[in-house]
Amino acid sequence: MIRTADLSLLPRWSRRFGRRPMLAAGIAILTGFVVMALAAGLIAPHDPIYQDAAARLQPPSLAHPFGTDNFGRDVFSRVIWGARIDLQIAIIGVIFPFLIGTVVGTVAGFFGGWVDALFMRIIDVVLAFPFLVLMLSIITILGPGLSSFYIAMALVGWVSYARLIRAQILVLKTQDFAVAAASLGFSRLRIMFGHLLPNALAGSLVFIMSDAVLVLLNGAAISYLGLGVQPPVAEWGVMVAEAQGFITQAWWITLFPGLAIVALAFGFSLTGDALADLMGIRE
Amino acid sequence: MITNWAKAALLGLMTSTALVSVAEAGGVLSIGRREDSSTFDPIATAQNIDFWVFSNVFDVLVRVDKAGQELLPGLAESWEVSSDGLSYTFHLRPAKFSDGTAVTSEDAAYSLTRIRDSELSLWSDSYKIIKDIQTPDPQTLIVTLSGPSAPFLSTLAMPGASIVSKAAMEALGPEGFAEKPVGSGAFMLDEWLRGDRVKLKKNPEYWDAANVDLDGVEWRSIPDDNTRMLAVQAGELDAAIYVPFSRVAELQKDDNLAVVIDPSTREDHLLMNQEHAPLDNAKVREAIDYAIDKQAIIDTVTFGLGEVANSYIPKGALYHSDENGARPFDAEKAKALLEEAGTGPLSFDYVVNAGNEVDEQIAVLLQQQLGNVGITLNLQKIDPSQSWDMLINGEYDLSVMYWTNDILDPDQKTTFVLGHDVNMNYMTRYNNEEVKNLVAEARLEMDPAKREAIYADIQKLAKADVHWIDLYYSPYISVTRKGIENFGQNPLGRFFLEDTVKTY
Repeated sequence: MIRTADLSLLPRWSRRFGRRPMLAAGIAILTGFVVMALAAGLIAPHDPIYQDAAARLQPPSLAHPFGTDNFGRDVFSRVIWGARIDLQIAIIGVIFPFLIGTVVGTVAGFFGGWVDALFMRIIDVVLAFPFLVLMLSIITILGPGLSSFYIAMALVGWVSYARLIRAQILVLKTQDFAVAAASLGFSRLRIMFGHLLPNALAGSLVFIMSDAVLVLLNGAAISYLGLGVQPPVAEWGVMVAEAQGFITQAWWITLFPGLAIVALAFGFSLTGDALADLMGIRE
Repeated sequence: MITNWAKAALLGLMTSTALVSVAEAGGVLSIGRREDSSTFDPIATAQNIDFWVFSNVFDVLVRVDKAGQELLPGLAESWEVSSDGLSYTFHLRPAKFSDGTAVTSEDAAYSLTRIRDSELSLWSDSYKIIKDIQTPDPQTLIVTLSGPSAPFLSTLAMPGASIVSKAAMEALGPEGFAEKPVGSGAFMLDEWLRGDRVKLKKNPEYWDAANVDLDGVEWRSIPDDNTRMLAVQAGELDAAIYVPFSRVAELQKDDNLAVVIDPSTREDHLLMNQEHAPLDNAKVREAIDYAIDKQAIIDTVTFGLGEVANSYIPKGALYHSDENGARPFDAEKAKALLEEAGTGPLSFDYVVNAGNEVDEQIAVLLQQQLGNVGITLNLQKIDPSQSWDMLINGEYDLSVMYWTNDILDPDQKTTFVLGHDVNMNYMTRYNNEEVKNLVAEARLEMDPAKREAIYADIQKLAKADVHWIDLYYSPYISVTRKGIENFGQNPLGRFFLEDTVKTY
């Protein structure tokens, strides 16, 4: 059963923060990546796309802590610059589906009837196709590139959020505080977005964290297929994909961007898990 | 009692066959490759993966030798050409198909008519020159051409022109035959597990069967390069083809393996869509040629195994000419030419085949090299099935492609690339009437010395126009376990598995 979240959570969050090492670790990792992304130009020792033919496939050393790739580019610098693209993918790829899904879910759940039926059938249609197939067809129509990926993500990804929010709204709208708000004569908009939605959001906020991991992996998959990030931009998924032919003789080209993906995903999941505990979603 | 006798007999039979196989031969050779075959109908494919198996299963009238230099007798033991160059008389050797029936001139006539006329044929254009085919007796075939054609004989060596059994084709139909072929090659199809492997067994009816050592061949499809190499290293495969350049040095260090590097006719080149301004300006194309450091591509992409390409006719192939004005790498000259052309900053869409390691690497290198002279490349990674259509429709500025010759004679490639054929000069939209006329002239010229001179002119003119940019030539690379002997291909790709010996 989902418990109604407390409206005045914020002060308690800060109090609980110190007693929650998981949350602290998760947020520390995410902050680390954000700082890395913002200060990429300052931290990275080399130009991420500069090719040095004389220093190809060099193992990790002091000059190149993560070694160099088959073009002689510094893997360390590429991993750092890759944080910009991958964080961008994870964040933008989640925000738009979240916004669309939340609005649709709230409206559908609150009004019920034909509005609900209409949106639910649209969701059924979207869900009827395998996720990646739908993404690929949309990106193919729009043309390869990151912006197409974000649009496709928004068009396909919102359904999970909509279903999540709708389910919560259905439960919440029959509860006493909602009925009370209605009997006080508040407008529907106010009840929907002022009273019901804040109480329904907790689940979605947690879901965002695990969804960010999936979006990250999807972004990598789409780039792997050539439809996402275009060369020579450094992106972890592309780096792994491009270097797989060299995996037996130059493990460092794939290992480090792979670890970066794992670490970022780990940061998101830790934060998500801790948030879920904090808001009492799993009890 | 009876059962005991039967057992004894069976046991005797088993021992005798076992003894025979030990005495005679060499087991089954398993070869790993990227993809599985798509058909066994010789005329219905243009892919190397199919052609290379056809050479095991079928025979052709005329063969190409191991060095890729000259034509040798195949099913035709000898032939004569009439003085006007219009009539070819072939004398077939006594040979049998894998079903035991004799190979007759009737089968040969049927196969050649089929590649010319059948709706399934992808090669009809190359054989339209055949006007008439006569079969005065089962061992004699007379082919009459509508005009003289210097490359005609070498087109008969192409695996697409393999001689099939007329009776089997008519009985099974093209679709049935494509799965159960009847040919007269050294091997015959035993079993085909689509998408997985093609199993061939020795063809006892092959005319030279006494000299075939292997009992069979298994072509296994293992798409992932790393997995395929590991399978050979682990001894699960006897050999593997399509060894990535990056793996050669490492495999050469392995004492259990032998890396086989055979010269090929493969040439990688940069296509430029000359309908898109300013690529219609020869100065701009010339500047791009000067701006590309081909040796750097060879070092990075082929790990030094390739060779700088200076002509569209590959080095070592018939009529290749070094004296054609190939341009060295000179970034300053490139900048000066761009200045002269007065185009300002340039930006091109570059179509890359997604998932192709070599193509992707070349793209990233060219992006940097052209960037140095002020040309921006926007890379578009496209699925290969789609990129081909984009090139045909002209929806590209630049793209890298490769070509391997199917026949010995340069006419085929020349016609596709410079002869204003159906494909807009291999998608480049290059246009030079003088070159076009020379291509036609070279096809009719029967004197080899004069032909060579014409081809030298063609190479010079095309290079001056920068019809495309030759990047590099690269070899075929295979790897085998130690103890596999005589494994390899000729420059046209044919594997001589009838000579291969497995000593373990």
